[in-house]
Amino acid sequence: MDVQVYPIKRTTLGHLRELWAYRELVAGLVSRNLKIKYQDSILGFVWALLNPLLTVLVLTIVFSRIVRLDVEQYWAFLLSGYFVWHFITQSISAATFLLVQHAEISRSIAYPQEASIVAAAISRLIEFAMEMTLILLALLIFRHHGQLPIGYLAVPWLVVIMFIMVLAVMLPLATLSVYYRDVYHGLPLVLTMFFYITPVFYPAVFVTGPLRVIYFCNPLVHLLTAFHKACYEGVLPSLWACAGLTAGGLVALLLGYVFFNHFKAAYAEIL
Amino acid sequence: MLRSFDTNPELAIVCDQIAKKFYYTPHRIQSVREAFIRAIRRQLPEKRDPIFALEPFDMTVRRGEVVALIGPNGSGKSTALRLLAGIYAPTSGQIKLRGRSAAVIELGAGFNNELPGKANIQLYGTLMGMGRAVIRERYNEIVEFADIGPYINAPVKMYSSGMRARLAFAVTICLQPDILFLDEVLSVGDLGFRKKCAQRLHSFIDKGGTLVMATHDLEDIRRFASHVIWFEHGRVLMEGPTEQVLKEYTAPDVEEGEA
Repeated sequence: MDVQVYPIKRTTLGHLRELWAYRELVAGLVSRNLKIKYQDSILGFVWALLNPLLTVLVLTIVFSRIVRLDVEQYWAFLLSGYFVWHFITQSISAATFLLVQHAEISRSIAYPQEASIVAAAISRLIEFAMEMTLILLALLIFRHHGQLPIGYLAVPWLVVIMFIMVLAVMLPLATLSVYYRDVYHGLPLVLTMFFYITPVFYPAVFVTGPLRVIYFCNPLVHLLTAFHKACYEGVLPSLWACAGLTAGGLVALLLGYVFFNHFKAAYAEIL
Repeated sequence: MLRSFDTNPELAIVCDQIAKKFYYTPHRIQSVREAFIRAIRRQLPEKRDPIFALEPFDMTVRRGEVVALIGPNGSGKSTALRLLAGIYAPTSGQIKLRGRSAAVIELGAGFNNELPGKANIQLYGTLMGMGRAVIRERYNEIVEFADIGPYINAPVKMYSSGMRARLAFAVTICLQPDILFLDEVLSVGDLGFRKKCAQRLHSFIDKGGTLVMATHDLEDIRRFASHVIWFEHGRVLMEGPTEQVLKEYTAPDVEEGEA
């Protein structure tokens, strides 16, 4: 029989192994998240689409009819970036209340608590994958692209990068939210600000002036630009940008995970 | 003591001077005002006195032994159980366990209210680290033991507290842990179910299962436990064979001293 020693001293690799051992829990939580969200709902998945779609509609009317932005087929441009932004905000917001939501479990069962965070991100990712498929199809059906563009090939990689970056923010944010409720209250403000300094409703090439250098320090600028290139323009995004985002994202994820694990043992008693 | 654990396979649990301190706010600045003042005075946030402390204690449990933790509310029984179950990390000291352990601390924590009992069996089982295949294999046994009839297909929010208890206990015991931690859970459920639990626990112990339980029910203690640890204000006041400790515990002068 194996021997368990407390307090547990694990390396990052050890934590990863533990999470892997609980992979069936993650899968179970993902299916729970999706089931609960859509059970007792007649429209089901349509709701997930409707909310961002409505925003896209409003923004399209505002920026192509009222305030004219010099972007051809503005609706297509918005579709290729807005749903990415929607995924990012939804997942990151969830990180600020997930551990509090699972407090009761943490106080009575010892389990790797990052499972609930990873599961939340994955269940959102499944919805996003469906949304993205529909968008890419819509851009073809409504003749934005005459034929299947080569840029679509890059989309799966971009989605992976997006997932890594979001998870890298979610983990440390969840830790902070255990100690400070301010995180929960303050995040919407920060996200609103980022909505304007990230090219969601305008292309990044519009940005000029002396603050340009600072503007391009935001990694989301490069992620959104890559999505615009692949989906809206239909060309392959810059390989350097993608490689840089992947590498940076992985480093950030590793640091975020180390941060999360450093405080993990205390969550059960503080929550 | 910990070294003897490694060489003696008959030992199920060994605690070496484990202690736990709780702070309302551990090293945490509580407000912007405080942060500002401390920044000016160049002070670090002070470590406040713990609001509760479990004093260092030792514990050795053999395989197949039943230990009961007793004491008034807030004496440290549940904290001790959570330390043993790996839910809290001890402030100091070390614990070693042999085999797979499972804990029922808050009944039905881990159930999702919106999902039916069926789906919750899967979820609860995987939370305790069991594979889905194993849970599927024991599924019928769990449902049969919980014995809540058609409610197994209803969302858990429609369950009575007794039914939640039944399902939680059924999942835990049917997953066959080597060590079981129970916090005040035998007292819920109706007479029939309590009888069933008692039977099941006896067979669990006979097969070499180790049980540590926190309870106020003296009858349960006499029925199961061979060894009792008595907590009072976070300290072990007394420990030893069941009758010996219970005799002191139920002595009238001690009761008065408490009040």
